[in-house]
Amino acid sequence: MADPNSSPRPPLVTGDKTIADVTRDICAPLERGPTGLWWGALAVSCSALLLGVVAVGYQIAVGVGTWGLNKTVGWAFDITNFVFWVGIGHAGTLISAVLFLFRQKWRTAVNRSAEAMTLFAVVCAGIFPLIHMGRPWLAFWTLPYPNTRGSLWVNFKSPLLWDVFAISTYLLISAVFWYVGLIPDLATIRDRSGPGWRRRICSVLSLGWNGSARTWHRYETVYMLLAGLATPLVFSVHTIVSMDFATSVIPGWHTTIFPPYFVAGAIFSGLAMVLTLMIVARKVMRLEDYITHSHVDQMCKLMLSMGCIVGLAYGTEFFTAFYSGNGYEQFVFKNRALGPFCWAYWTMVTCNVVIPQLLWFRSVRASLPCVFALAIVVNIGMWFERFVIIVTSLHRDFLPSSWADYAPTSIEIATLLGSFGLFFSCFLIFCRFAPVIAMAEIKGAAHLGKPAAGRREAHRQEHAA
Amino acid sequence: MTAESEAIRVQYPWLARLAVVGIGIMAVGCLVAPDRLWPNLLLGAYYVLTLALGGAVFVALTDVSGAGWHVAFRRVPEALARLLPLASLLLAIVLLLGMGRYGWPHDGDHVPGTFRFKELWLTPTFWAARTVGYLVFWMWLARSITARSAAQDQPGSTAETAANVRLSALFLAIYAVTFSLASIDWIMALEPLWFSTMWGVYHFAGMFQSTLAVVILLALAWRQDHGPLAGIFRDDHLHDLGRLLLGFSCFWMYIWFCQYMLIWYSNLPEETSYFITRTHGPWGPVVIASVVLNWLLPFFLLLPKPAKRSAGAMARIAVLVLIGRWVDLYVMIFPATLTATDAQGVVHALPPTFGIWEAATLLGLATATAFCLSRTFLARPPVPRSDPFLREPSLAPCNSGSLP
Repeated sequence: MADPNSSPRPPLVTGDKTIADVTRDICAPLERGPTGLWWGALAVSCSALLLGVVAVGYQIAVGVGTWGLNKTVGWAFDITNFVFWVGIGHAGTLISAVLFLFRQKWRTAVNRSAEAMTLFAVVCAGIFPLIHMGRPWLAFWTLPYPNTRGSLWVNFKSPLLWDVFAISTYLLISAVFWYVGLIPDLATIRDRSGPGWRRRICSVLSLGWNGSARTWHRYETVYMLLAGLATPLVFSVHTIVSMDFATSVIPGWHTTIFPPYFVAGAIFSGLAMVLTLMIVARKVMRLEDYITHSHVDQMCKLMLSMGCIVGLAYGTEFFTAFYSGNGYEQFVFKNRALGPFCWAYWTMVTCNVVIPQLLWFRSVRASLPCVFALAIVVNIGMWFERFVIIVTSLHRDFLPSSWADYAPTSIEIATLLGSFGLFFSCFLIFCRFAPVIAMAEIKGAAHLGKPAAGRREAHRQEHAA
Repeated sequence: MTAESEAIRVQYPWLARLAVVGIGIMAVGCLVAPDRLWPNLLLGAYYVLTLALGGAVFVALTDVSGAGWHVAFRRVPEALARLLPLASLLLAIVLLLGMGRYGWPHDGDHVPGTFRFKELWLTPTFWAARTVGYLVFWMWLARSITARSAAQDQPGSTAETAANVRLSALFLAIYAVTFSLASIDWIMALEPLWFSTMWGVYHFAGMFQSTLAVVILLALAWRQDHGPLAGIFRDDHLHDLGRLLLGFSCFWMYIWFCQYMLIWYSNLPEETSYFITRTHGPWGPVVIASVVLNWLLPFFLLLPKPAKRSAGAMARIAVLVLIGRWVDLYVMIFPATLTATDAQGVVHALPPTFGIWEAATLLGLATATAFCLSRTFLARPPVPRSDPFLREPSLAPCNSGSLP
């Protein structure tokens, strides 16, 4: 076998680490007490969460009338937030499953945290349709099972029901995939911790992991099968979310490109969220040797390509609306660009298509502050994309007499803030209690503990002498 | 001349003879049955062009993503990409000869209202200028990429590798826009009232899937009998290509299904017209055949690991996919071009036909393409021997030695 150090690729882990260093560095944040910064961040995110809880409690008690909806704009803020959060989760599945099948070794630096984000984001997403039901305690009615409510069955023809299936499957498989990936690392933590609750919990959760070749072999088989199962989910979830809109006959919603366009947009926004959090995490948790500049560079390139695909989809929609000769289609797109919500449309185009073009420059990709700012911009842009699709297609109906405006109420804004609070609280707790980087995987992917090229050469010369 | 190239060169005469026979019959067809031959020519020329373009896209995508697994056989997709000038010339001639067969308003009376944009977009001169523009752009960029790859063979020229990454990114950005428009201009515009935003993605899916199949076939052909790729194109490469083919078969099905399902579900007359022509009546089985050949068979045949490492199985699956691509394009093009007007003045698609003209076009273009590809491939060293990724240590996956 050729010398791995002669590979033209940048190293996955910098700083000449040994396998023991990896374990030590990644377990360190778990084993030292929480810092003041962590408590501060948790306090802020829990406050936001509390605000959200109060807002949700209020709107469940009073009703969905507390939202700014009207008979024309019947879907707005809640569905925007729902689609936004479902999208955030997609980078996790892409990185963990699709990039695994494509043998992209750099994924090992971020896959654990991205998968965790997937879970938290899907939970955040689930809140919104649940509240929108009006009586969330009857949410189990969305599940098809023989029941005593007469012949009351779910509507299998409705994409909203497909959503229930798609998203619950997604949550289930993502959770299993995440947990299976965690098992060897939980065993490492178990073996490192002294007697106490941490050891007991990790013993149970690591399922008796003993590190034998047979255990590894079975683990790898399961991991690979789960990657294969999770890959279609990257496509199916947002495909079905897009069908919530595309199966309708509303101009601006009904368009055949929606499924792949939504999937690309979801991965785009998910990568932006992963970058936002990981740029902070690597600094705070001192993981600069594991999440290196080349990892950020790879994610930036992926984000740029997804941004360009999304831009192409915007262009295709606009072009086809005019090419179609359908006056209603043409009106919707003119209205998006020039109507009362044009500020939202141009925010979306600027944030998602124009500004990310800066990522073509290596110097921009190499500057972490720039990448961080860009990732935030993309997050904002992708939220607006959903808002534009949902609200601008509805607010000017076929009947001009039905035309209406839409503005979110403070309750809706508080709910959105609350969902951010939930997401960040979960993420902060995850950082304290689980290794944010998949130690076992990084040890397998990176060439650790082998002499570096220079040293090996010196070694060889010694032998020759 | 080496023994390896000799092995390919002995295939020349019979390929050339078959090509001459096929093209001869096509020439007769141009005179005897031009209406029947033109859709065949469009299908064939577009098929060959998308294969050549697919070769360029394969090279560009792998360059941009920093892939290393494919370098040993990269000259195969490069040979496809270097076919672009010939394929472009053929398609340009076919399109310009057949401009009158597109159902646009040519009389220049201005359509008022919402169809104004379509009328301007499909103005014959603008349409022809765009066609030339797309082809020239692709040829120029693909030529630059393959020329740099050849220049890279001189040892120590890593600058070419870096330059190709930039060029490939530029090519992909331009390709994404131009190919979407080209698929609309050349194929969707055959039925000028119909539209679908998925069209460009659908064509990309078909193009890339069939390109993978051709790369598999060519690499296998040039590996056997001590060919130039013997000992270079390994079972690991075949396995990886098989996985990609499986993935892109599923992608094609995904795109096909989403387009069909959304149009079926919404049931708007202006959109369903396309599928009603093709799924009701005699075209129905052809549509099903396209789905079976492009997805159902490849999916189940490619799932087991041994199939992806077997030259015989992979060659057969690749042939199935290539037949599937032909059927897919046949369903797009023929119902729109082979039509009859009934007594009430309503235009109907004729039922599917496969006769001497279809067979001759297939034979002529397939053998001529194979002949040209062999010559192109042999003109350069079969392996990019100085590529920095060529001797990358491991093809092993991240943490698993047992990917299916």
